[in-house]
Amino acid sequence: MTVPDGVLKLLLRLLLLAVAGVLGAALLLPVVLRGGVDAFYGRFASPAAGSLVLGTSRAAQGIRPAVLTARLDGQFEGPLLNYAFTLTHSPYGPAYLASIRRKLRPEVRHGLFIVAVDPWSLSAAGRADTVVREVFPEEKSFIGQLREVSQSPNLAYLSRYQTKPLYRLPLDFATATERLHPDGWLEVNIGVGSAQVRARTARKLLDYQKLAATQHLAAGRLAALRHTIEFLQPHGRVVLVRLPVGAGLLALEQQYQPGFDGQMRQLAAGFAVPYFDYSTAPYATTDGNHLQKAASEAFSQQLAADLAR
Amino acid sequence: MLFNSLHFLVFFPLVVGLYYGLPPRWRGALLLLASYYFYMSWRADYALLLLATTALDYYSGLRMSRLPDKHQRRPWLALSLVSNLGTLFIFKYFSFFRDAAVALGGALHLPVGAGPALGLLLPVGVSFYTFQSVGYIIDVYQGRLAAEQNFGRFALFVAFFPQLVAGPIERGGHMLPQFRRAHAFGYGRIVSGLRLMAWGLFKKVVVADRLALFVNPVFNNPRQHPEGPLLVLATLAFTFQIYGDFSGYTDLARGAARVLGFDFNLNFRQPYQSASVPEFWRRWHISLSSWFRDYVYIPLGGSRVGPARAYRNLLAVFLISGLWHGANFTFIIWGGLHGLYLVLSTWARPVRAWLAQRTGLAAHPGLRRGLGVLVTFGLVAYAWIFFRANTLDDALFISRHLLTGWHLNSHQAATLLLDFSQHYRPELAVATFAVALMLAVEYAGSRHAPQVWVAAQPWPTRWTGYVGLALLILYLGIFNSTSFIYFQF
Repeated sequence: MTVPDGVLKLLLRLLLLAVAGVLGAALLLPVVLRGGVDAFYGRFASPAAGSLVLGTSRAAQGIRPAVLTARLDGQFEGPLLNYAFTLTHSPYGPAYLASIRRKLRPEVRHGLFIVAVDPWSLSAAGRADTVVREVFPEEKSFIGQLREVSQSPNLAYLSRYQTKPLYRLPLDFATATERLHPDGWLEVNIGVGSAQVRARTARKLLDYQKLAATQHLAAGRLAALRHTIEFLQPHGRVVLVRLPVGAGLLALEQQYQPGFDGQMRQLAAGFAVPYFDYSTAPYATTDGNHLQKAASEAFSQQLAADLAR
Repeated sequence: MLFNSLHFLVFFPLVVGLYYGLPPRWRGALLLLASYYFYMSWRADYALLLLATTALDYYSGLRMSRLPDKHQRRPWLALSLVSNLGTLFIFKYFSFFRDAAVALGGALHLPVGAGPALGLLLPVGVSFYTFQSVGYIIDVYQGRLAAEQNFGRFALFVAFFPQLVAGPIERGGHMLPQFRRAHAFGYGRIVSGLRLMAWGLFKKVVVADRLALFVNPVFNNPRQHPEGPLLVLATLAFTFQIYGDFSGYTDLARGAARVLGFDFNLNFRQPYQSASVPEFWRRWHISLSSWFRDYVYIPLGGSRVGPARAYRNLLAVFLISGLWHGANFTFIIWGGLHGLYLVLSTWARPVRAWLAQRTGLAAHPGLRRGLGVLVTFGLVAYAWIFFRANTLDDALFISRHLLTGWHLNSHQAATLLLDFSQHYRPELAVATFAVALMLAVEYAGSRHAPQVWVAAQPWPTRWTGYVGLALLILYLGIFNSTSFIYFQF
């Protein structure tokens, strides 16, 4: 068989172009290896953990493992990793529990497990009186789908869940609007001027009002929370924590689930674990829901002090 | 299968490799198999529908070719039209007309029942391949085209994968002779096809999919964004998004066909440089507008009738064109608006000439054209609101609020800044750059033959361009979009 004129020339040039593309992509390697991909990747590229912070974005932004580690050095097995994601990805459920099982070193016996709770992370879609079967959409996200959660570089995550255009990786890393620290704390640097905070808070409250109207406290999620505590207890100390929020959102939470606090106290008592309720504590937020950077430092100090008692 | 998917990245080189590796007599069969595989990767059972309508059109064409006069051919034409347009009606329009009839019945207090709900999924590309087949069958009926005798070749004409799902709508007279010829491997032609594909990919993943970030939140929920500046921004963004998306798709299709040795007709010629709406329609989706011209407008009498009938013909063609795009009143209004623009443009031609004389613009043709481009762009962009809006209510809401909210209070300003602070600001900068680059390249392309110009550059310049474009696509591209806008039609 004869190869037509120009085939080799074409293949060679396409190969050159591919090499240029690979070299171009390789420029991103330092950012990827430092975990600067997005707000989640670093938690799947870090080694298996000895202690964990669990919850949604409130905990992801509000609890700093570095502060706890500095204050409680030697009192728990490290590393302490903030393994909290967002309300979309890590409400309590079978998928999150499975991911936690994968992330925790099996031999750990003296870990520290901060389990952040709020009504939203235990809710599911649909009105309580109409829901026939509870659906947990996070099962289709990386929380439910990613099998390898302690691998660097985590190619499975990069190929399936990294959706940002590549130029954003170094840009976001350099500008650090959102920076995921190696210990899993998500640092968020956004404007905290009063007009911006007011606007964000109003928008967030509106979002949560819609959630309150369309969700219910889900038996399946509460059961998953119980299973999570059951799983964690043999591995160390478990603490239930309700983080501070703005007054508007707290009022909405109380209106949405007036008995939530009592339920959590009862649950904690049932497992003989402490429950720290900071929901009314006066810490500044960026949007009524997430603590500001300075407030997260102060709050983590207070949490560490309370844990040390 | 999408042109911007990994699946296609494997499929296409494989098809090209096999195509040039096989003896010419097997290549048609390979392309036909590949085309059906391409279609079946979306939904396998609908390939049977494609095959059935293809077989019927082939047979009708064959029978018509054996009949000497039009009168005898007419039943076969009717059979083919009924099968093609009937398929289109059942899958695309049945629910729309049923709901409209029920609503009308309700308004007139008539007892109109809803009837059965078919709940059928629209076959991807059905509007395109149906129109291509209808064009063929009318050409055969009219005696303008000899019927294709080879079924495989005819099936390939209908299903050829580069243009199967979103055009360009090709004519039998242009494509069938190409399917009869053997296409030798041609280095220059393949490189030229790949260049076109790369440029199309840039327009899709860098321009269109990025602009969607601004368009979708606003158009999917306009009542949450009632501020005029945001609505105008989203409308402008959609104006360029749809161009990037559809002309990007067309470039990918034309490039892929060129790599395989085939030539598709031009579908876009810098439409936003048009100085009038009629000119816009000579530059936008040319294969569809020329199809409507040849198979609807001219048979209706075109412009060779009295002014009133000519205007009626124009309006009718554009209303049908709107309906072709989608079974929704938004598309009908969009088509109606363009029909109205054309009627007014034709009717007011003497007035515009008089005004140009009076204002002195006639002495400055460049300035007059520039003004025409601006006005045309504004009219076209406004009509896109109806094309993109999910409902007629949304479109009217956006129309009413375009000019409101331009004086922002501090809360509104903070909310807007909030929307753009983290995510959108860099994307807006990239989108502006990408749109400017697209327009600049296409403007240059309208002045020179772009492929000839590129080929004439010294190799360092060419390769800087190739690597630069590849890196722009790699770094700026958004690769998680699920479709092209025109796939839904």
